[in-house]
Amino acid sequence: MSGGQYHRPHRRAWFMERPAYIRFMIREVTSFFMAAYLIVLIVTLAKVGVGEAAAAEWLQALSTTGWKVAHAVALAATVWHTITFFAAVPQAMPIYIGEDRLPDPIAKIVMGYGPWLTATAIILWGVLR
Amino acid sequence: MAETKTITLELFRYHPETDSEPRFQSYEVPYDEDWVVLDAINWIKDYVDGSVTHRWSCRMGVCGSCGMMVNGEPKLTCAAFLKNYYPFPIKVEPLVNFPVERDLVVDMEGFMDKLQDVKPYIIRDDVNDTSEGEYLQTPAELAQYKQYSMCINCMLCYSACPVVGHEDDFLGPAALALGHRYNKDSRDQGQSERLEVMLRSEAMWGCTFVGECTVVCPKHVDPAGAIQQAKAMGAQEYFKRFVMPKGAGATKGAGA
Amino acid sequence: MSRGKSGRPTRPSGEAFWWALFSAGGVMAAIFVPAFILATGFLLPSGDPAAAAEGAQRLAALAGWWPVKLVLLGVITLSLFHCAHRIRHTLMDVGMRRLAGFLKLPCYGGALAGTVWLALVLWGI
Ligand code: SF4
Ligand code: FES
Repeated sequence: MSGGQYHRPHRRAWFMERPAYIRFMIREVTSFFMAAYLIVLIVTLAKVGVGEAAAAEWLQALSTTGWKVAHAVALAATVWHTITFFAAVPQAMPIYIGEDRLPDPIAKIVMGYGPWLTATAIILWGVLR
Repeated sequence: MAETKTITLELFRYHPETDSEPRFQSYEVPYDEDWVVLDAINWIKDYVDGSVTHRWSCRMGVCGSCGMMVNGEPKLTCAAFLKNYYPFPIKVEPLVNFPVERDLVVDMEGFMDKLQDVKPYIIRDDVNDTSEGEYLQTPAELAQYKQYSMCINCMLCYSACPVVGHEDDFLGPAALALGHRYNKDSRDQGQSERLEVMLRSEAMWGCTFVGECTVVCPKHVDPAGAIQQAKAMGAQEYFKRFVMPKGAGATKGAGA
Repeated sequence: MSRGKSGRPTRPSGEAFWWALFSAGGVMAAIFVPAFILATGFLLPSGDPAAAAEGAQRLAALAGWWPVKLVLLGVITLSLFHCAHRIRHTLMDVGMRRLAGFLKLPCYGGALAGTVWLALVLWGI
C-alpha cells in the first residue's frame, strides 16, 4: 500500500549539474596547483640552503619549457584564487559606516586588490632591484 | 477557444499510496503573459486534475510555501513567469534535497528541526521588567543584521546547496543565517549558546562556500555571507574557549 | 562522536581551528603567492648559466635576510594549511565524506610536514 516518502537518488556527479557548481570546483581545484607550487618553492629554498651553485643549477633547470608551463598553470590557478577570494571579501567581512555598508567595489579594493598590488610591487622590486 | 495559445507543464507526480516511483505527467495549460507557474498549476488542479498536490498561500513572494524546482532551478513558483519559459515546456519538480511527501510537496520536518537548533530568538541573561520599556536599538545596530532577518523559509537555498544534499549534519543556509541574525542583534546575549551548536563538526563547517544559496534567495538574505561571518565568529569563540575554557564570553561584533 | 536527539553531533569540534588556518592562509595566498610564482617561476630562472648564478645570488641574499624569512615562513605555512583544508573539503564534497576524519591525516599532516621542512630549510640559509 503506502510507499511512504520518496527519496531522490544520491547525485554523485552533482558538481557537473550547474555552471555555478563547475565554477565552484575550478576554484577549489586551484588549491591542488597552489600546493604543488608551494612544494616546488620549498625545494627552491632548500637548494639555496645547500649553496649558490646548487641554486643556480636548479634555477637553470626551472627555465625549461616544461617548468615554465607548469608555473604558468600554477600562476593562472593562483590568480584565480586571488580573484575569487577577494570577490567574497565584502560578503564575509562587511564594513559598516553607521547604517551604510561600504560599497562592495570599495571594500574589494581596500581589503583586497590594494594590498595585493602593493605586496606584488614590493616583491617584484625586491627581486629585480 | 480554438486559437488560444498553450504551454506544456510537466509535473512531477508521486502518490505514496499507489506509486513506488515518481513519474512525470504533461498538461496543456492556456498561456497568459501575466501568469506565473503557480497560476498554471492551480489551473491544472482546478480544471484538469484535482489530484495534483502542491503548497502555496500568498501568491506574492511573502509566505515562502510555493518553492519548487522549475526546469531544474529552485524558484518561488508565484514569482516565476510563464513568459520566461514560453514556448518551451516547463518541468516542475518538488524541491531537491528534501524527501518527497506527495507530488510537489516535500517534507519540511528536518528543515524545521535545523531552524530550532540555532535558537532563533533573543536570549538574555538579564531580562528587564516590562516597566523598564523596550530594549532600544539604533539604526546602525539594526543594519548589522537586518538583511539576515528577511528570510521567508522558502527553502530554495537548501535545494541550491550541494552540501545540504550530502551532509545530514549540516544545518544549511537559512538556519545558519538565522542563527547569525540573532548573534548580530545588539539586544541578544546568546551568542555563546548558539555558537555551541554551530561549532559542531559539520553543522556549519561543512559549508564550502559554493555560494548558490545567495544566488537563488528571493529575499536577498545572502546566507553564504552570513555563514562566512558566523565561521569567523565561531573561530573566535573557539580560541576564546581554548584560552579560558570556562568563561567563554559573548563574541559581539566578530567578523565585522 | 556523541549524537543528540536529532542525530547530529552534540559537541563542538576542532573544525574551527582548521578553518581559521584555512582562512588566514587564503588571505596570505591571495596577496603573496602570485608574485612568488612570478619571481621563482619566471624572473629568476634562466637557461644561461651566468644569469642563473646571478638569480641564485639575488635569491640567497633575499632569503638570507630574517624579515624575508619570517614572511616566507608565515605565507608558505598558512598557504599550505589553506590548500590542505580546501583539498580535504573538496574530496569530501565529491563523495569522500565518510573519510572526513581520516583525510585530516594526509592533508593537515602534509601541511605540517611542509612547515617543519620549510622551517629547517630557512634555518639553514
Ligand atoms: S535564506 Fe533566502 S532562499 Fe533560504 S529560506 Fe530564507 S528566503 Fe528562502
Ligand atoms: S505563494 Fe507565497 S511565496 Fe509564493
